[in-house]
Amino acid sequence: MATLKKGIEQLGEGAISFIGYIGSIVIFMGEIIFWAAHPPFRIKQLIRHAEKIGASSLPIVTLISLFTGMVLALQSAYQMQKIQAEMYIASLVALSMIRELGPVLTALIVAGRCGASITAEIGTMKVTEQIDALETLAANPINYLVVPRFWAMLVSLLILTIYANFIGIVGGYIVGVYKLHIPHHMYVKMTFDPLTQSDMRNGLYKSIVFAVVICVIACYEGMNAREGAEGVGKATTASVVKSFVLIIACDCILTALMYFIGR
Amino acid sequence: MIEIINLCKSFGKHRVLDNLNLMIERGETTVIIGRSGCGKSVLLKHIIGLLKPDSGQIFIDGKDITRLSTKELNDIRLKFGMLFQGAALFDSLSVWENVGFNLLERGAKRKDIMTRVSECLDLVGLKGVEEAKPAELSGGMRKRVGLARAVCMRPEIILYDEPTTGVDPVMGDAVNKLIESLHDKLRVTSITVTHDMKSAYRIADKIAMLYDGKIIAVGTPDEIKNTNNPIVKQFINGDSEGPITKGG
Ligand SMILES: Nc1ncnc2c1ncn2[C@@H]1O[C@H](COP(=O)(O)OP(=O)(O)OP(=O)(O)O)[C@@H](O)[C@H]1O
Ligand SMILES: [Mg+2]
Repeated sequence: MATLKKGIEQLGEGAISFIGYIGSIVIFMGEIIFWAAHPPFRIKQLIRHAEKIGASSLPIVTLISLFTGMVLALQSAYQMQKIQAEMYIASLVALSMIRELGPVLTALIVAGRCGASITAEIGTMKVTEQIDALETLAANPINYLVVPRFWAMLVSLLILTIYANFIGIVGGYIVGVYKLHIPHHMYVKMTFDPLTQSDMRNGLYKSIVFAVVICVIACYEGMNAREGAEGVGKATTASVVKSFVLIIACDCILTALMYFIGR
Repeated sequence: MIEIINLCKSFGKHRVLDNLNLMIERGETTVIIGRSGCGKSVLLKHIIGLLKPDSGQIFIDGKDITRLSTKELNDIRLKFGMLFQGAALFDSLSVWENVGFNLLERGAKRKDIMTRVSECLDLVGLKGVEEAKPAELSGGMRKRVGLARAVCMRPEIILYDEPTTGVDPVMGDAVNKLIESLHDKLRVTSITVTHDMKSAYRIADKIAMLYDGKIIAVGTPDEIKNTNNPIVKQFINGDSEGPITKGG
């Protein structure tokens, strides 16, 4: 009985702290939106960050989406061959990539690579008092540090996702055409025919949400890093873990919403 | 004028400032002394509005800065310059971007910024480091760049957190001279935190000792030298035996 009570108490505390966390994240997001609408607009910094995010993630996004496309094709071939419907492999790969795997995988990669580095960067600035220094120089840290990264993340994640979709489809094509001997024109036709505008849109909506999740969590964890190098390390780990969980959770909710409303 | 009234601040259970009172006149150089970890940096951060007190007030020229909106606070902060204990240079920016940060933010012309930046770097005895990144500088050089950044906007009030720590004695003397000359020529109000009693006696109009969350003594350097307060006496003489070490 006592252990049960303790367990429930712990669960309750966990739930409360989780709700508290989401609350602070939402407030933080509000501040970002407020400062995003305020001059100065730091276009140069935005481009610099976007380049960094894009360039650092491009190789691994290429690799992972290529393999994912190939695996998807092989895996579905195994089942489709049983019912002699190989030509649908193309549509299956394209739809899975564009609606689901492209946005999610890219977001996870970017969260691991760039979200972590954003947290480490901002966290280091926090513990070495650089954020305090910004404030004493009358520059708002959110306007100066977070907003450019926010737009950069949004733009680069969208571009990376579109790129990942394309590479995934290429991966499927390689398997479909060279290994399963589906004719080229057939594969291309079956890739694009069933795609609707809403498939594309839904995939990109997901990307937008993921970009917001990654950047808001990464910056929030960085800004709230505790003193010392250990604090920055902890913040970085927390940033990656929390954005992974939230990306998957948001994906689940969005997919459900799109399934029930968007049809 | 800066007036601090009944300032209290705790971090968790740890009470750092406890009903602290202090008056600083315009144009005065006040030196704050006290043991490591007694809350000197925390006090400075309250004066510039980086930390919010649990209770108490801080009046800067009659305005209570603990109750200002962010915008009003930013206007007040333009009067301030601050040198952080660890310099707190922006490591993604070069030295000239650090020193001229405020001008850069206001969209000043590059040429004007460079002129002002090299003026300020001259003041702290640095030459030809404009394009360097803070990581390439030594600790003492970083401190001086931080000093240049603090004085760049010609502030009315300057807060120095240990300006001579980590700087060699010759340069330390130059830094003290700089603080003195800013005070004499520009009538800058300054608050300096230091452990270095020699420079404290030299630059101070008033010395204030922070102990146990309170200012326990304020006076001119001579008054402090000849104090009867056993705690202050132990501190300025640097004895390891005495009331400070007995209690804790
Ligand atoms: N952000 C913070 N969170 C928690 N505790 C803090 C924080 N900042 C300062 N402290 C605590 O407040 C106390 C005073 O710190 P402070 O940095 O003001 O000391 P100090 O007098 O400047 O010491 P030193 O001469 O070594 O620089 C310390 O015990 C420190 O642990
Ligand atoms: Mg200190």
